Amino acid sequence: MEQACNVINMDQLAHERFASWQFSQDFCVTCGLCSSSCPASGIDGFDPRKLIRMVSLGLENEVIEARWPWICTMCAKCEYVCPAGVNIPAVVRSIRGLRDREKVPGILHKGLAAALESGNNLSLPKEDFVFILEDVAEEIREEPGFEDFSVPVDKKGANLLTTIHNKLVNTHTEDLKHWWKIFHAAKEDWTIPSDNWEGTNWGLFTGDDESMKIMVSRIVGNMENLNIQNLLWPE
Amino acid sequence: MFDLLIQYIKSGRIKLDKSKFRNVTATYHDPCNYGRKAEKLFGHGFFDEPRWIMDQCLENWIDLYPAKMHQFCCGGGGGTMTTGYNDERIFYGRKKIAQIEAAGAQMLVVPCHSCHGQFNNIKEKYGMKDLEVKYLWELVADCLIEN
Repeated sequence: MEQACNVINMDQLAHERFASWQFSQDFCVTCGLCSSSCPASGIDGFDPRKLIRMVSLGLENEVIEARWPWICTMCAKCEYVCPAGVNIPAVVRSIRGLRDREKVPGILHKGLAAALESGNNLSLPKEDFVFILEDVAEEIREEPGFEDFSVPVDKKGANLLTTIHNKLVNTHTEDLKHWWKIFHAAKEDWTIPSDNWEGTNWGLFTGDDESMKIMVSRIVGNMENLNIQNLLWPE
Repeated sequence: MFDLLIQYIKSGRIKLDKSKFRNVTATYHDPCNYGRKAEKLFGHGFFDEPRWIMDQCLENWIDLYPAKMHQFCCGGGGGTMTTGYNDERIFYGRKKIAQIEAAGAQMLVVPCHSCHGQFNNIKEKYGMKDLEVKYLWELVADCLIEN
């Protein structure tokens, strides 16, 4: 009799629950091309066709609680092959956005919350950030041809502003050097902001548009404050 | 990012030594966001630009199959590096790794932080411990010669 718990009463479905979403989800013809194209199909019983069907049926709690939207990378291969033009990655991201923020898996929301409060995912204080930059610049100066290298922080009127991925001032400081060496060789007039330098924007991943906008507006704010026209944002 | 590198190279502001990695077989991975998703969102996927940059740095590189709009995701996108669902993420990457293995590549060039982290995280699991994973801009920096 346990199986009876899984039977869905078709008369009580909230078909209209996701009707406001403009992702063509109700045009799904259940052909299965998405499922066949998806590298995550089969993981934990996931396949994109099933998820779209659940959304069309209005199975709200089921899709919000499922791990599936967090296992999917929103790579959009499914959308590319879909003959009905269903924007499956947007459905997935919107479902992510409906999760209680405390139940967002892993460090995604915690990192974002830290960034909103401190300006970066690591809550790295400004003086520590600048110290790391100077330290890496010192290492570059030891290499032949880079003796006169320096890292310009908060340089007003520079040609190019760059953001920084938090892992480059955490566990991967060596990887700061590549762009810096290119800038040096190209004689670029560039700079790094000492505040709000974070290049990642985890609101993109958690379906949190408001936070995403705040993070973007801070980068724009840096460009305005420093009077810089060009942005390099490799994250 | 691609446009900036191309501008530096075409204008002669940086010069590159193409022979540096002549004994290495390299390949390139299209990140979803620079390629397929950019094509949909902005009407332009960055497919040709990175390949032109690869041509300026390498004598010996080959494309994966399928690539560009049909590429497989590495499995490290969408924040999956940080959800804690690691077994699922590693399994996800199996198709991409199989492509790289089939290409016989010793070096994999990527222009994406997430892809870079994912490949370094999963390569040993799939018997490709020695695969060198390089940022596209790292490749350019490695090939720099004095002007």
